[in-house]
Amino acid sequence: MMKWIKLAVRNILRNKRRSFVTLLAIGVGFAAISLFHGYVDRVYWGLRVMAIHGEGLGHLRVNKAGWQEKGKLEPEKYMFSKEDTQKIIKLAKEENTVILATPQIQVTGIVTNGIASTIFIAQGVVPKDDKAIKGAWADFLPIKGQTLNDEKLYGVEIAEDLSNYLNLTQDKDGVVMAPTLSGQMNALDIKINGVYNTGSEFSNDKFMRFNFYFAQSLLDTHSAERIVILLKDWQDTERMRTILLTKLKAAGIDCEIRTWEELSLFFAKQKEFLKVMLTFLFSIVLVIVVMTAVNTMGMAILERTREIGTLRALGLKRRGVSLLFALEGALLGFFGSIIGIIVHTCVWAIIKIYPPKYTPPGMAVPIDLVVNMVPWMLFVLLFCFVLFSMFAALIPARRAAKQNIVDSLGHV
Amino acid sequence: MPLIEMKNVSKDYYLGETVVHALRGIDLQIDKKEFVAIWGPSGSGKTTLLNLISAIDEPTTGDLAIAGKDVRSLTDNQKSEHRNETIGFIFQGFNLVPVLSALENVMLPLQIKGASATEARKQALSRLEEVGIGDLINNRPAKMSGGQQQRVSIARALVNNPSLVIADEPTANLDSATAHMIIDLMRELNEKDNITFIFSTHDQRLLDRVKRLVRLEDGKIVNGGAKQ
Repeated sequence: MMKWIKLAVRNILRNKRRSFVTLLAIGVGFAAISLFHGYVDRVYWGLRVMAIHGEGLGHLRVNKAGWQEKGKLEPEKYMFSKEDTQKIIKLAKEENTVILATPQIQVTGIVTNGIASTIFIAQGVVPKDDKAIKGAWADFLPIKGQTLNDEKLYGVEIAEDLSNYLNLTQDKDGVVMAPTLSGQMNALDIKINGVYNTGSEFSNDKFMRFNFYFAQSLLDTHSAERIVILLKDWQDTERMRTILLTKLKAAGIDCEIRTWEELSLFFAKQKEFLKVMLTFLFSIVLVIVVMTAVNTMGMAILERTREIGTLRALGLKRRGVSLLFALEGALLGFFGSIIGIIVHTCVWAIIKIYPPKYTPPGMAVPIDLVVNMVPWMLFVLLFCFVLFSMFAALIPARRAAKQNIVDSLGHV
Repeated sequence: MPLIEMKNVSKDYYLGETVVHALRGIDLQIDKKEFVAIWGPSGSGKTTLLNLISAIDEPTTGDLAIAGKDVRSLTDNQKSEHRNETIGFIFQGFNLVPVLSALENVMLPLQIKGASATEARKQALSRLEEVGIGDLINNRPAKMSGGQQQRVSIARALVNNPSLVIADEPTANLDSATAHMIIDLMRELNEKDNITFIFSTHDQRLLDRVKRLVRLEDGKIVNGGAKQ
């Protein structure tokens, strides 16, 4: 085999300029896909962190069975009692992969500064648990002022655009109004603890965060709408859903569990969009690579028709001719991919050192453009490019192998 | 049993709607160890005849047997194996692979056969020594003269120990002195190793040295078809 590889390498080097252009085309195509994939990988990471930690969805959300369909119509019926809440938290925390399980409640209503009012959507959270869920996200978009705490139950956090709209800045007072679970209108005084940026322009003018017990007071209930569960590793999400569902049902709790991926529609849409983009880019590059390889190998075969005739006369079988050119194609793909990996690494390093800033759609603040280094993807791409280049070479090679030997030998 | 046996062989080529009768009713027998020249004017069918004998082309009609094998009954792969094992080729334009050294070119038929690199190298070196260019084994064709390239070509033709060597105008691209050396070498190999040589030529220098002449005209053997 080595002798044929050696021959293939020498044949590639026969027309250096043409081979260089081909390798460059393959390399640039490789780098375009791998860099874009690295960017997409980073975006997936960012969206995942934003969903789990930024939006506070956690990894799993436990609701009473039927809450998704009918919870809005009959909230009290589809909320967990205090006893059930404690039971779920206890059962969930028995699992090693669970960092925490915390009750939450959502409130929608009207917030006013005494002059102007607007709607709000608030999450009632346990302050220390919410801090744990936020994790490093809190450093990315820190709160201006104080966070929620258990000492001042009526102290709330308000999203930046909503704060600006109502001029409710830190330490200012306001009033929130919402219907209780029994349908009566309730109103409570609030004091603004801090102002935060949700990171999403769609929620930045609506969102608030209340202390869980304050939210319960506003809704006049002791129940919890959901239990949010944070795991050590996001990759355990599906496995833990199955485990917890079985465990909770065995304990007599009729519930449904949704993952962060199901709850974050933004993530799902963005992921789908980026997947389509990646496939589109991959297809274009693939066509370019295949056409370049077909063209290069076609030219090489044309120039070496007489040589093919000689090899056939000496006893090389048709399959041998095809394999020889397929090997040349594969080597073009391999060396082109190596160039691609070098280009990828250089661009990746430059972006890492001097990250450009941009504001992605749906984000309220500019962020660094980061490209992840995904080694397994580089190997997959290398394998794909070698394979595609090889098949691209096979197209003209098969034609050459079938050519009449006498005609090949007489080719000038 | 003759090495080559042709009975009423004809070969037609089709150029659009025109039929060119390259060979007509050829009857020819060539035995082992013969040193045969096929000669005749341009277009008389010399190369076509050699192509049929070397199993790189098929007759339109007639029977052709090489070493007792009916060539027309062989598959393409079997023909390839037959050429590799039985026939050595010497081309007018040498047809060496330009990216390979002299040694690698000579190793090629053995490597096609599947011989190990060590074995192929050993035999190729021996043949290169035999044709007198043992000191140029690492040179690529571009760095060799026409005579040297033809010697490499002869070494390549002989490396598989074929029973038959086919040479198409082997001295056409060579000067007189080199042509004489090549002729002497071929003659020597014919006598020493009992290899059958069949070649086409116009070259009078070569015709004077052969044991048997087969003259072709307009696709027919006009002289030398029957063994003398």
